[in-house]
Amino acid sequence: MKLRKITDGVYEVSILNATEEELEEINETMGLALSIEEMKKMQEFFREMGREPTDLEIHAIAQGWSEHCSYKSSKPVLRKYIFGIPSEHAMIVMQDDAGVVEFDDEYAYVFKIESHNHPSAVEPYGGAATGVGGIIRDVLNMGAKPMALVDPLFFAPPNYDGKLNPGIKHPRFLLNGVVAGIRDYGNRVGIPTVAGMTYFHEDYVNNILVNAGCLGVVRKDKIVRSMVDAPGIKLVMVGGRTGRDGIHGVNFASKVLSEKSEEEKQAVQLGNPILKEPLIHVVLEANDMGIVYGMKDLGGGGLGSVVGEMCHAGGVGAEVHLDRVLLKEPNMAPWEIWVSESQERMLLAVKEENLPALEKLCKKWDVEMSVIGESISERRLRIYWHGEKILDMPLEFITAGVEYDRPFKIKKVERVQELPPEPKYHNVFLRILSDFNVASKEWIIRQYDHEVQGRTVIKPMQGIIGFESHGDASIIKPVHSSWKGIAITTVANPHIAKLDPYMGALYTVDEAVRNLVAVGARPSSLSDGLNFGNPEREEIMGEFVESCRGLGDAARVLGTPYVSGNVSFYNEAFGKNIPPTVVLMAVGIIDDIRAAVSSDFKRDGNHIYLVGSTAPDMGGSVYYRVLGAKSTVVPEVNINKTKELSEKLLKAMSRGLVRACHDISHGGLAVALAEMSMGGDVGAEIDVGAMQHMRSDFKLFSESPTRWICEVSPEHGEEFASLTGAVRIGTVSGDSLRIRDGARWLFNVSVEKMRTVWRGALRAHLG
Amino acid sequence: MKVAILQMEGTNCEEESYMAFKEIGAEPEYLHLNLLRPGMLEDYDMLFIPGGFSSGDYVRAGAIFAARLKAKAWNELRKFVEAEKPVMGVCNGFQVLIELGLLPGTDGISDVPEAALATNESNRFECRWVHLKKERDSIFSANVPDRIVLPVAHAEGRFIASPRVIEEMEAQRQVVFRYIAPDGSKPDYPWNPNGSINDIAAVVNSYGNVFGIMPHPERAFFWYQHPDWTRIPRNRGDGYYVFESLMRIIEAKNR
Repeated sequence: MKLRKITDGVYEVSILNATEEELEEINETMGLALSIEEMKKMQEFFREMGREPTDLEIHAIAQGWSEHCSYKSSKPVLRKYIFGIPSEHAMIVMQDDAGVVEFDDEYAYVFKIESHNHPSAVEPYGGAATGVGGIIRDVLNMGAKPMALVDPLFFAPPNYDGKLNPGIKHPRFLLNGVVAGIRDYGNRVGIPTVAGMTYFHEDYVNNILVNAGCLGVVRKDKIVRSMVDAPGIKLVMVGGRTGRDGIHGVNFASKVLSEKSEEEKQAVQLGNPILKEPLIHVVLEANDMGIVYGMKDLGGGGLGSVVGEMCHAGGVGAEVHLDRVLLKEPNMAPWEIWVSESQERMLLAVKEENLPALEKLCKKWDVEMSVIGESISERRLRIYWHGEKILDMPLEFITAGVEYDRPFKIKKVERVQELPPEPKYHNVFLRILSDFNVASKEWIIRQYDHEVQGRTVIKPMQGIIGFESHGDASIIKPVHSSWKGIAITTVANPHIAKLDPYMGALYTVDEAVRNLVAVGARPSSLSDGLNFGNPEREEIMGEFVESCRGLGDAARVLGTPYVSGNVSFYNEAFGKNIPPTVVLMAVGIIDDIRAAVSSDFKRDGNHIYLVGSTAPDMGGSVYYRVLGAKSTVVPEVNINKTKELSEKLLKAMSRGLVRACHDISHGGLAVALAEMSMGGDVGAEIDVGAMQHMRSDFKLFSESPTRWICEVSPEHGEEFASLTGAVRIGTVSGDSLRIRDGARWLFNVSVEKMRTVWRGALRAHLG
Repeated sequence: MKVAILQMEGTNCEEESYMAFKEIGAEPEYLHLNLLRPGMLEDYDMLFIPGGFSSGDYVRAGAIFAARLKAKAWNELRKFVEAEKPVMGVCNGFQVLIELGLLPGTDGISDVPEAALATNESNRFECRWVHLKKERDSIFSANVPDRIVLPVAHAEGRFIASPRVIEEMEAQRQVVFRYIAPDGSKPDYPWNPNGSINDIAAVVNSYGNVFGIMPHPERAFFWYQHPDWTRIPRNRGDGYYVFESLMRIIEAKNR
């Protein structure tokens, strides 16, 4: 690699006459993570310019073209299936850092889910913490006050005893580190963590997934766009200083993990919630004063991405003086400053006359700021270093990036289902209750503050104080003077998606709807976190395409658009890929939170109804995994039915007929009943004889979609059943869960026993 | 009643606290430590230190907040307390009051902290609701029912002090709220969520005007903030009565 020094910290790199091997060497040495075709495209560009590039220019291009920044593998597919789903209420969709949807006449809600997988695999505590920090900024930079966090996590089982590949950490260590990172960041910054999930599957052993979502609320007239559309607007960095942490984070995220990943810890940023907290105040107060022209957070890709994207979006260019950036350490090279992903930084576009007001605000909150440049009418990016021009390129070339129509292969699933002998119900039920994907997550949930800000009116754990069990969704009440609420849930089902990515995606959307409807909310919009393996493999790309097709088909019928999202590819290590993991953060609206419904049984003597129909499709079910039985026959989702039944149930709820409601998911009917019993500390007598005719174990443990259990007081039973078509399956009563199929008793387990098993199973492997 | 709600980086319960004071008809104002100037405190009728993670709790919960407050306005603060104006700290605010030596305040103000809110026995942050038993009336508790529930959310809330201090506190009946089991018996974990000595959840100083409480009354101000409102109807949140007590008494005094 041939270099020529231009000035301190800046080198000219000879690429014009470089051979393919030399280009590869430059790619490797500079840590660019580009393909050879992309290196050649870059070479061609500078040949046309008739000059050699600076190292900064090469880094800027590599950053802009990274999978993380450019979505080069996913964009064509997303455009086809996910983008542009019609909606009455969506205001800003898939454009800025977070989606914006109408809440009421005055307010909008803003939200997004995002992955922070690679950093968390290498450094779980810091990686998870900065994942939370990053997603908060995405919501904040729309001018919204962050009001809720969610955190879906995916690990190998914590008692994993297989061999670990070099550099791969044990899932138990990773889980503890990730939970601590989320806890310490989210709690300190004062935003409640209201929903999430912790999911286990052996295929996450090499690649854990840490997704984080945030929701905020903004007055419609205060929405800030991530763009600058006029020249002469000052670009101001506010918040943390820039350091060497997080250099090449996006390039790192666009590679497969290996034993070398440990050496790339530098790519993991360091978070500081106590810098973030006042930064939130500065940004929101500045926005209230009306002095923020445009705003974007510095996340993946750092300053480079942000300046480029903000100006590109507004059709202008930018002039930046890198020597004006405040640094954590001296002697950073310009390219390091440009690509650093140090945390807690925001770029504000501010008119010159408003700078003094911003300075005053920053002083009050002890937050640093520096004016680093301004927008220019020419659509170019020019960067200066102590007066010397060290980058001069058309913005389009860096920011527009590249796109690939990657080849894909869709695997055919042969539908086979073993029929195991009928089990001992008592034993198998307790084994299912203690399955890690069913067992209580209380140990994790309670380490996150879900009460701060005082808005959480339906909590993540529901029931009698001290006896709570899992709820389906949380509800926040964002506006003091209004009873309207926002329900939030997160869902994923990698076991089903692994067997059938298309149906898995439909099932995931269906479960999102089930969860929102269970608390009485009408589904409003979605944010999609798409986590996949290596897209350069045709079968992985096939999983991606099928998942997106499923997501699109489902959402179009429901009228719930994807307003924001994130794609994480390259979740591959040592030749193994993760199962296709579609994570949804789903938001619903409840017109009056006083009508919200929780999952715990309320009163002895109330009737229990099953809404929806059950099929003997056991593929991906907890039951079959516990038995070790094989099935590729996954539950079939009819999304029209999802829509129809949820409307009916919502109607029954709005009439006040439903005392408790829980969706049926992991572990099936039996687990849903158990959770409702434990939360209400009361038993139930159930007869599944009224269900469609099939094996008793399938009735109890099938994970068929679009089903809920509802508790209804006896006087409302008839009205409820005629509205929803539900069948009555039992009565709330006693202190045990007693289930029979007609005349035949299946099991009888005390609430106390269920609670001990359910609470203890995962807890024994944590902390 | 003019209430100063103190802020610094990391305090994060100020909004719900502000809302609570506003709702009972007080006049709350945010006051950032960086904007605190000599003579400012005396304009207020009450001082409130909200919960959160002031300075990240990086040294010890509340230690940096206390040190900065002391450096800025210690004499004024002393005068404020000695004038028997109410001072209240919730969660991190309670930790600050202990660090300042204003609580437990068995004999007014102490030069060094005489108690501590140590790391929970469970050794982790926990967010859960607890049952509390009112032990005495005070300006902070006069209108509070005998048994209430409030949420806790902390990693450092285990009230500890030397046997002598505990004895003095108990003798002077300074404990305002204790954790209790739902059936009224002595609480084990999680009913005593942190392992506090004598199940202490909230204390008042010997003058009766400085109050520290680990659970969050401001997060239980409205009935719909309770976790079990879908089971048990209430007109108000249990935390409301703490603020209402204050308001009644201040109003009566000013009349």
